[in-house]
Amino acid sequence: MTGGEQVLQVRGVSKRYPGVLALDGVDLDLRAGEVLGLLGKNGAGKSTLIKILAGAVQPNEGEIRLDGEPVSIGSPQQATDLGIAVVHQELADVPNLSVAENIELGLGYPRRLGVFVDQRGLRRKTLAILERLGVKASPATLVEDLSVAERRMVMIARGLAANARILVLDEPTASLSDEEIDHLHDTVASLAADGVAIVYVTHRLAEVFKITDRITVMLGGRTVFDSPTSAVSSRELIDQITGGLGEAGITEERQAPVVDPGAEEILRVEALSRDGYVENASLSLRSGEILGIAGLVGAGRTELVRLVFGADRATSGRVFMRGREIRLRSPRDGMKAGIALLPEDRRNQGNVQAFSIRQNITLPGLKRFRGVGPLPMPSTSQERAAARDLVERLQIKIASEEDSVSTLSGGNQQKVVLAKWLDSGSDVFIFDEPTHGIDVGGKEEVYRRMRELAASGKGVIFISSEFSELIGICNRIVVMREGRLVAELDGEGVDEGALVEACYAH
Amino acid sequence: MTVDDPTVTRPATAPAGDPPSSSDAAPPPGAHRGLQFLSRYGVIVAFALIIVIFSIARPETFPTTENLQAILANAAAAMIIATGLTVLLVIGDFDLSFGSMISLAGGAAVILMANHGVAWPVALLVGILLGVAGGAVNGLLTAYFGGSSFIITLAMGTVLTGVEFAITDQKTIFEGVDPSFASIAQNEFLGLSNMFWIAAAIAAILWLFLDKTEAGRYMYAIGGNPEAARLAGIRTKFLRLVAFVIVAVTAAIVGLLLSSNSGSYSPSFGASFLLPAFAAAFLGSAMLRPGQFNIPGTVIGVLFLGVIQTGLTMLNLQTFVINLVQGAILIAAVLLSRLGERTT
Repeated sequence: MTGGEQVLQVRGVSKRYPGVLALDGVDLDLRAGEVLGLLGKNGAGKSTLIKILAGAVQPNEGEIRLDGEPVSIGSPQQATDLGIAVVHQELADVPNLSVAENIELGLGYPRRLGVFVDQRGLRRKTLAILERLGVKASPATLVEDLSVAERRMVMIARGLAANARILVLDEPTASLSDEEIDHLHDTVASLAADGVAIVYVTHRLAEVFKITDRITVMLGGRTVFDSPTSAVSSRELIDQITGGLGEAGITEERQAPVVDPGAEEILRVEALSRDGYVENASLSLRSGEILGIAGLVGAGRTELVRLVFGADRATSGRVFMRGREIRLRSPRDGMKAGIALLPEDRRNQGNVQAFSIRQNITLPGLKRFRGVGPLPMPSTSQERAAARDLVERLQIKIASEEDSVSTLSGGNQQKVVLAKWLDSGSDVFIFDEPTHGIDVGGKEEVYRRMRELAASGKGVIFISSEFSELIGICNRIVVMREGRLVAELDGEGVDEGALVEACYAH
Repeated sequence: MTVDDPTVTRPATAPAGDPPSSSDAAPPPGAHRGLQFLSRYGVIVAFALIIVIFSIARPETFPTTENLQAILANAAAAMIIATGLTVLLVIGDFDLSFGSMISLAGGAAVILMANHGVAWPVALLVGILLGVAGGAVNGLLTAYFGGSSFIITLAMGTVLTGVEFAITDQKTIFEGVDPSFASIAQNEFLGLSNMFWIAAAIAAILWLFLDKTEAGRYMYAIGGNPEAARLAGIRTKFLRLVAFVIVAVTAAIVGLLLSSNSGSYSPSFGASFLLPAFAAAFLGSAMLRPGQFNIPGTVIGVLFLGVIQTGLTMLNLQTFVINLVQGAILIAAVLLSRLGERTT
């Protein structure tokens, strides 16, 4: 199926975000009727490339050719006009409209009397596409009543309705059952047979070998590998994805704290579940330990720690602090039990953007700053002193602690989140992607704080999508995949190859 | 204006793009600063301007002590309910049932005294307790059971009016109000009606509450980012309930004071307070701390609306002109603050 004509050529495309080079001269080729597997770690640049193809983001440099002609994809509408359809992992449908209305959304509904939507004509028009995709749902069904698999099919149908010749599928099998996956694979194969060129983004190696004709691997914003699927082995592919670190490992950089084997167990999680997100997760954390949680985006890591903190309610399972079971109905319960959670999304969950830096820092522990005896009235001067102290200790770069937190960069906002909890007296600190989007110097500081906390006898849980930093500072690493804890690595067993295998294996 | 200003001039929804580094956060030059001044003090400048205009147009009646006393006395009831409402708006919720609560609390107290011979302190207490109960129901249904505050409080307003009509039979009552009860609002102190002093005290208490206590800080945090507040261990549901109770209790106080002041009850007399209270609070959010509801702003907002009402009436304008001018001033004031917000 690889003999088709070259439809899409991406040449030297770069995309710069403030402080980050997301794409660094990426190349991509796509032929009619082929299924191209696009692989790469989190942060390799796949999403940015997809967004550029979808017209959602404009590249800073480089060229995109369609049928040999240079094109610019200035908007999602233009992408549609050029015959490019992108099905994002996050479903972009309108749940309260029908299947037919979703498929033809923005393409111009057939009309009656020039004003009213011709519902019957609309359904007839979409029925053919639905049959082609093997979707059994009626065009009149509301999308909100469909399963995730069917909704994804509706999004694909939307691409076909717009006569797409290039179909980009971003992790289409995430959260689908095995039968649904088989059906999707069949559909992809039949579309390719009809001449549609398909970019298939996935983390699952098994399906790469099952359905793709060719594989392109991205790393650090570049295309590093391109080969027919039949000519590559699974081991070779993992090496390419990790940049050849799989075999060598980077254990020489390991600075994991040494934990006294007799150290007290602080936190124990037993068979914790939340339907659809986390299944039967058990783990234990000792004093002085840094426990890493590895896994791909969407593996359930954030969901698991939110359960441990009480931010979401578990459907079953138990959590113990120093051997005593705790009830977790709200984050307040987690906090009282001595757990601190530093959330991943600091802008939306970590900080109150309308508050000053001082007001954010003192928010969880406001009671410690009472000015007039036991009256519940915070003393601004005490708050300010504490905020100044923390700002200095964490080297947060600000002009004044009275500035709005919204003026800070991502890294400094992260430090404000840390400042909130550092003196809270918590025993367990959970860092969810604390280094995401911050510079190297900032990362080093976060690592240093984690080590200090562990050295002072606290327990630290560290979620990260960067394997190298997990390996660098964790005593022990557990791996989550599809809501389950699937592996535990420590000591000699910790290296990037083992982590990659545990994360991707299927 | 306050030592501890829990707000900033930046809109709460800062774009997620690249934030300026802290060194860029220095005060903006020239035009920027002018707009910032306008957004903070524009309404106050307009307020002063209007006082000057009315004083020039009606020099013998407008700038007088009697007129000031009248304006303050008339604004008292609106000030009480508007400051109570401000607390709920700070937390990011709102209430459409407080108009009915005003009528119910006043009606219940008057009926108890006039028809059942209940002692006035008991009637007063019952009125307040009705407020606590009504607010708690609103809070339970919205914060704890997840109902939308729009539809829940709209429905609760209808329910409260139903209860009011059931106990008062929808009849106007002129007689039987205890003179001691009537004296609560009617007496004067330092030349101003008691109602004004009570309103001032409530405004002061709520200002202290919102700006100086832990609970107040938490309420601002919830209004700014409910999820961040929850993850900081704040009891968001409970505080929402408290805010609903505060509005309903201030509404009950207004109902009781108005009944005391007039020594009578007429059906649904509280309904007319719904819009002015919201208008004053939104005017207040358009000054001092643009984009943030705050008690001093609301107090000035109430006085602003009172002055416009009185001044326009003194100019002998027709009612429709008064309506048009009031509406236009409100819209202009709110747009003015948006202008400032966008540029900061």
